Amino acid sequence: MVKKIGLLLISIFVLSSVAMAAGKSETAKPRKAEIKIIWWGSQTRHEGTIKVIELYKKTHPNVDITYEFSSWADYWTKVTTMAAGGQLPDVMQQDYARIAEWVKRGLHVQLDEYVTKKIIDTTNIEPSLIDTGRIDGKLWAINLGSNSHSMILDADMFKKAGIPLPPKDWTWEDFEKIALQLREKLGIYGYGVHMWNDQIWKAIYISRGEWIYAPDNKSIGYKDDTPFIQYLEMMKRLVKAGAMTPRQEEISQYAGGTQPEQTPIIFGKAAMQHQWSNQLSAVDKASGGKRNFVLYPLPRVKGGKSANYIKASQYFSVSSQSKFPEEAARFIGFFTNDIDANKILMAERGVPISSKVREALLPLLPPVQKEVFSFVEYISKTGSPCPPPDAPRHGELINNLYQPEVVDKVLFDIIDPVTAAKILRERGNAILSKN
Amino acid sequence: MRDPLSKTRKARDARDGYGFISLWLFGFFALTLIPLLFSFFLSFTDYDLLTPPVWSGLNNFKTMFTKDPRYWKSVFATFYYAIAAVPLRLVVALGVAMILNTNRRGVSLYRALYYAPSIVGSSVAVAVMWRQYFGTEGIFNALLRAVGIPSNISWTGDPRFAIWTLILLAAWQFGSPMLVFLSGLKQIPNELYESASIDGASGIRKFFRITLPLLSPVILFNLIMQMIHGLIVFTPALIITGGQPLDTTNFYALYLYRRGFETFEMGYASGMAWVLLVVIALFTFIIFKTSSQWVFYEAEKGR
Repeated sequence: MVKKIGLLLISIFVLSSVAMAAGKSETAKPRKAEIKIIWWGSQTRHEGTIKVIELYKKTHPNVDITYEFSSWADYWTKVTTMAAGGQLPDVMQQDYARIAEWVKRGLHVQLDEYVTKKIIDTTNIEPSLIDTGRIDGKLWAINLGSNSHSMILDADMFKKAGIPLPPKDWTWEDFEKIALQLREKLGIYGYGVHMWNDQIWKAIYISRGEWIYAPDNKSIGYKDDTPFIQYLEMMKRLVKAGAMTPRQEEISQYAGGTQPEQTPIIFGKAAMQHQWSNQLSAVDKASGGKRNFVLYPLPRVKGGKSANYIKASQYFSVSSQSKFPEEAARFIGFFTNDIDANKILMAERGVPISSKVREALLPLLPPVQKEVFSFVEYISKTGSPCPPPDAPRHGELINNLYQPEVVDKVLFDIIDPVTAAKILRERGNAILSKN
Repeated sequence: MRDPLSKTRKARDARDGYGFISLWLFGFFALTLIPLLFSFFLSFTDYDLLTPPVWSGLNNFKTMFTKDPRYWKSVFATFYYAIAAVPLRLVVALGVAMILNTNRRGVSLYRALYYAPSIVGSSVAVAVMWRQYFGTEGIFNALLRAVGIPSNISWTGDPRFAIWTLILLAAWQFGSPMLVFLSGLKQIPNELYESASIDGASGIRKFFRITLPLLSPVILFNLIMQMIHGLIVFTPALIITGGQPLDTTNFYALYLYRRGFETFEMGYASGMAWVLLVVIALFTFIIFKTSSQWVFYEAEKGR
């Protein structure tokens, strides 16, 4: 008897929970369109984007928006898993390095139709900026802002040390000299963190008019390893002189140096640091907003051309798994063109592509964003052309080889720079040959 | 025994039984067994999550064993960690359990307090806290300086020390083996200690002759559980050191995760997972086999 009652209770419980679940989906049956948005970024970006989503919900009561965000490091794990499970959010932030691969796998919706229908209004956008989202002539993504590499310089520190700001076409030799001077005069690291990252590797070869990958992406694209070796040697000299954060300290104190908010330049422990230009606002905010940061192009190799180029900082794409692609596109249109939304965002994702938005923002910009705008303007006039997207397996090459087996082993004195360059070439070619 | 009802009764019992565990069964099949078998299949393929898996035979295993130095480094790091952290944690757990195995006032409060680190144990918050302790400008260095030892060692960033900060964390999180030891200690009859005292045995002798032998089944259990925990260690390395410096804390499970979810080599990661499973099964088997030599079961007959 007791058993029977138990069984009865269990079945009631099971049935009711099933019924509840069913009821839930019944009542929530979308009269409203539901779209989900996902992005990566810093705290500043999360706050701004959430505010814009709230604004959109107010003005578009027929749409319900959910969102998710993460740091760059976790983002691709997240979205790739979602894509494999058919759960990709309707609107997702995309990156220049990955978009071709995602399009090739049919994960995005072509946007030309929505542009023609003016759901995404491109009237005030220069065609060349829209074209950054095209692959083989078809539009797959909308550019959320232009940016470029930069070296952030703490002008106050330079003043304190009595070091004049360098010319804009400075070289790596100038850079090293300044870093050493800063150390000598102020006792701080001249340069902060992440000097070893692959963007600098790329920048050195761009400055030489070359590219790290061959045109067919099946091998390393340059013949001469010397500039790479010189770069590794420079890092070692700087660390030895106390003019650059040692890798040990970077790992233990600055979480590997991947989050702009947690870097030595914020705490006044370094006066120069490599960042994307749009990250200046995050750096400025994290450091209290009262410092004088200036943006500089990356140093060049001696006699080389500009290592900088204009790039779409990121894109919004619509997922092919979306049930409401049109609503997703409408949100992107709003995000790109709406003045109020962009007053909230304040160009944190890079210089807006709509000329109307730029005009509206210009008088409102805080000094730090004015700096970003004029820097991007300067690069668009003086920079090199944008290099090709990263080769397929670029992530594999960086995560499995470049960082652990090449630069780290040099920075921890396990191998010398010449050997490191050799390893990078040999094993890099082995990885790339699978492309 | 052979009453005619037994068959239907058995059937009914079975039905009721399966009814009761049906939810669990569903979970087991849908969330454990099927993914498990699927990953076995994946370990013989190249799979990047976005395109269908491509059969590659034993390639993943060949790469793992012969062409991937980082694989062997992660194996070494994991064993290093497990061999140091597991005994350390067990010793600390047993020590604290013995201190708490008294009837003094307020002892239950202390039990709860000492268990607390393990509740928050594998959480991200503790890992972040640990980073603050052992960073270059962390509390630990500040303490050293306060007592006059000038130190600016980056404990979590220096290849010599990084893994030891993680081992220390493991030892600090002794809560769950401690609770198991505590309940084991409670079951040792007091008369044994009393008669030993009458015979004039010292505390140390009592520990080795009474406590340890009678506790050995519990030690076996804790050893196996902690060994498994040690071999699949993940969160602290991910959060505190990120597998750095120089891959010295790039533990097996972390490296597996990296290959699977950062560079999207799911086939390779699945292969790694299966090797780990086999190794853990093997170690558990060995410990069980040797346990007859050192585990003492009171109720065992014929001995």
